[in-house]
Amino acid sequence: MGIENLWESMPKINEILSGAAAIAKGMTVTIKEMMNPVITDDYPDAPPVFQERYRGLHVLQRDENGLEKCVACFLCSAACPVQCIYIEAADNTDQLRISGGERYASVYNIDYSRCIFCGYCVEACPTDAITHGHGFELASFNTSTLIYRKEKLLAPLPEGTTGALKLDHPVAVGDAGH
Amino acid sequence: MADPITLTIDGKQVNVPAGTLVIEAAKQVGIEIPAFCYYEGFSLQAACRMCLVEVEKMPKLQPSCTLPAAEGMVIHTESPKVVDARKGMLEFLLTNHPLDCPVCDKGGECELQDMTFRYGAGESRFVEIKHHVDEKQWSPAVYYDAARCILCYRCIRVCDEGLGVGALGLTYRGVGAEITPSHGDHLECDECGWCIDVCPVGALTSGTYRYKSRPWEMNYAGTICTHCGDGCKTTLSVRNGEVIRANNRDRSGINDEFLCVKGRFGFDFVHSPERLQSPLMRRNGKLEPVSWSEAIGLVSDKFLEVAARGGSFGVIGSTRATNEESYFLQKFARQGLETNNIDHHRSGDVATLLDALSGKTKALATVNDLYTAKAALVVGADLAQQHPLLAYQLRANWRHHQSSTYVVSEGPVREDQYAAKSVRAAAGAELAALEGLREDLKKHGDLVILFGASVKGDAVRSLVAFGDSLGIPVTYVCLVDYSNSRGAMDMGVLPDLAPGYKAVDKPGMNIDEMLTSPTLDVLWVVGANPLEHTQLKNEKAFVVVQELFLTETAQRADVVFPAASAYEKSGTVTNVCGEVQRLKAGPKVMGAKPDLEIMGLLAKQMGLNLGIWTPDKVFEEIRRSVRGYNVALPVIATGGAAPTMPVNGRIPVSPRPDLIRPSGDTLFTSGTLGRYSRMLNKVMEAPGQLYKP
Ligand code: SF4
Ligand code: SF4
Ligand code: SF4
Ligand code: SF4
Ligand code: SF4
Repeated sequence: MGIENLWESMPKINEILSGAAAIAKGMTVTIKEMMNPVITDDYPDAPPVFQERYRGLHVLQRDENGLEKCVACFLCSAACPVQCIYIEAADNTDQLRISGGERYASVYNIDYSRCIFCGYCVEACPTDAITHGHGFELASFNTSTLIYRKEKLLAPLPEGTTGALKLDHPVAVGDAGH
Repeated sequence: MADPITLTIDGKQVNVPAGTLVIEAAKQVGIEIPAFCYYEGFSLQAACRMCLVEVEKMPKLQPSCTLPAAEGMVIHTESPKVVDARKGMLEFLLTNHPLDCPVCDKGGECELQDMTFRYGAGESRFVEIKHHVDEKQWSPAVYYDAARCILCYRCIRVCDEGLGVGALGLTYRGVGAEITPSHGDHLECDECGWCIDVCPVGALTSGTYRYKSRPWEMNYAGTICTHCGDGCKTTLSVRNGEVIRANNRDRSGINDEFLCVKGRFGFDFVHSPERLQSPLMRRNGKLEPVSWSEAIGLVSDKFLEVAARGGSFGVIGSTRATNEESYFLQKFARQGLETNNIDHHRSGDVATLLDALSGKTKALATVNDLYTAKAALVVGADLAQQHPLLAYQLRANWRHHQSSTYVVSEGPVREDQYAAKSVRAAAGAELAALEGLREDLKKHGDLVILFGASVKGDAVRSLVAFGDSLGIPVTYVCLVDYSNSRGAMDMGVLPDLAPGYKAVDKPGMNIDEMLTSPTLDVLWVVGANPLEHTQLKNEKAFVVVQELFLTETAQRADVVFPAASAYEKSGTVTNVCGEVQRLKAGPKVMGAKPDLEIMGLLAKQMGLNLGIWTPDKVFEEIRRSVRGYNVALPVIATGGAAPTMPVNGRIPVSPRPDLIRPSGDTLFTSGTLGRYSRMLNKVMEAPGQLYKP
């Protein structure tokens, strides 16, 4: 082997050496991280952990008496940039009270094939009725199942309450909410 | 008119006639001065102090709604001082106001909300508990929430001044002050709902619209009311194919903002559960639902069979159908079925009037003429009950221009309140009573004569002769009852007159003759209820009916087609003054088809060539071929009212005054449609109540 050959093989040795150094450096990070606690979720084997302000499936809240907070003001649907909230309003009567105010949403649908989870509806709501929950598993093979009705969106009843009030004695509409 | 004056508003020069209010002058240069109590056309109040403006050289802010413009005035409408004053006024208005916009019906179209937004008076320095009063229901149509009321008196003024009803007043004082209805705890009135519309806030709410929607959630269709012949423009608010409100806030149309109870609340017949939604066919004596093709096929076969053996047809047209439908129907009868046996329920003698006026120009009054004429004479009609818009126009004319109204009627009418003279005369004897008014009428610059169904046949000619003898320009309105009574006549739904009042060679049977003919083979009824009180003489006749509901006539039918109402279709109608206006489809009712389409399908099945049956194409044909209907298209296309040209030529009338039968509808009834309107039936007031002096 002549001196010329050695001279020619010099860059290859350099390359091997610098490659080995890079691997060693990478492995230090890996080995270091192996020592640290795990921060990713084990989903789906374990439930995921969310930040408080994560914007997931909506929840329609109830007040402490179990009445619906939503008064069907339509502001959420007006604020929605993709028009995915559909509401029909009706009035609470002397005999049947659904919400705290004069009116309530007899129909409240959110179309999750369109919702972009922007949170505008939550911001618009004057009664804090619509909120983002942490639900996120809404994949479906059938888009028509992505329209969630009020019944599916409502928060569970607080303990000891019955939800809608059926009254035998009339209470003037307007007593609540003022 | 006095010399125009020049003033400067926010740096813009404006010329207005002397006496113009500053708030109106500002409007002319596109400057909006906010005001709650000021309402164009009604008496001035200066109660809300929102319209304060700064006038140079005047020490204090001035209310622009009562300040007449003066030469050289320099006005600032949004100076810091003005803005501050408005903000302060709003804070006062809001002291007891609940600001419960989320549940308030007015949210989104509320003047108070807008102003609070604009001037940022959302926060109050008042910490006292707000004075609260519970909401009250005054009538099925009107609810009142005193807490939201800002005491602008608009409702009081439109009801009292605009309508002459005066059902609202103010009671209590200070924070307790509230609007109170005629009967203390409830309202007996015209139930027109105008007070609800003009209320700048959500204090007055409507029984039909309450809590249903938001203004931005609806589609709007400007169409023509289908309840009487006056032809009010009504804007339907439609959500999900359903009408939930009707009003005319944009003041388009001949009626400004006016609508009576039928126009504002009577739309609910459209969604009555009793609407027919599928064709019905009689099988084993019972009407059963069948498919369209089956029903059309059967009727077509029957028509062809009867035509082939030379049997007799009777066709009864509608007083509510569009001009296109009436025209197509008579074409179908005359060309397709080769018969002149076609008629409709007549409610006024238009043909004789047009004949008596032949050779005269400008002899027919428009709705607007009633507002500008110097004097009006109402003969044999109760306008407030039967022609609410015309009554409103005459009253507005009297309020704004001090016009004189003369009344010759059988009983007391509301026009008596302000009439220059009222004369009582039995129906049919009105003309004799006119002589006594001759000298009074002559004094005026011009006169509109409106006459009801009791003036018919030769009496119409005598009335026109009386008008001629006054020596002043006289125009006429022949009062007809239904939304397109006038159009049905103009379109030749008559046995002796073809479209444009042209004579036919061989007059056919009239409506009475058809119903009593023992040999009639087929009776075809399109949107009418001739068998409401009578039986069809020939029990074997084959009866085809196009109707919205299972009326008495439909119950007798062999085939019933479910028809669409005027609110669900396009086309044109002609009002009592002969003005053509366009219908625009708003709501949808599954299963029903417009009469024009039903007739078209039938013609196609029968192999008749009657031309294309789309409303536009038929209207084109009407414009080309019907005398008087070559009206300006742009006017109609843009939602205006185009007056038909006078027929101007003799009409070969064979007067049958006995066939002219007024509908007898009141403010709260409207033939078949009214029977199926839940709201109209709920608010029904005793008509006599409305005439308490
Ligand atoms: S959820 Fe809130 S914003 Fe939406 S309609 Fe109900 S009250 Fe209004
Ligand atoms: S009247 Fe206007 S400001 Fe008052 S609660 Fe209703 S929408 Fe809000
Ligand atoms: S509904 Fe019409 S008539 Fe009745 S109070 Fe209101 S404005 Fe007057
Ligand atoms: S009810 Fe409405 S229109 Fe009448 S005074 Fe009150 S705020 Fe004005
Ligand atoms: S006046 Fe006649 S056209 Fe006008 S709203 Fe009343 S019923 Fe309808």
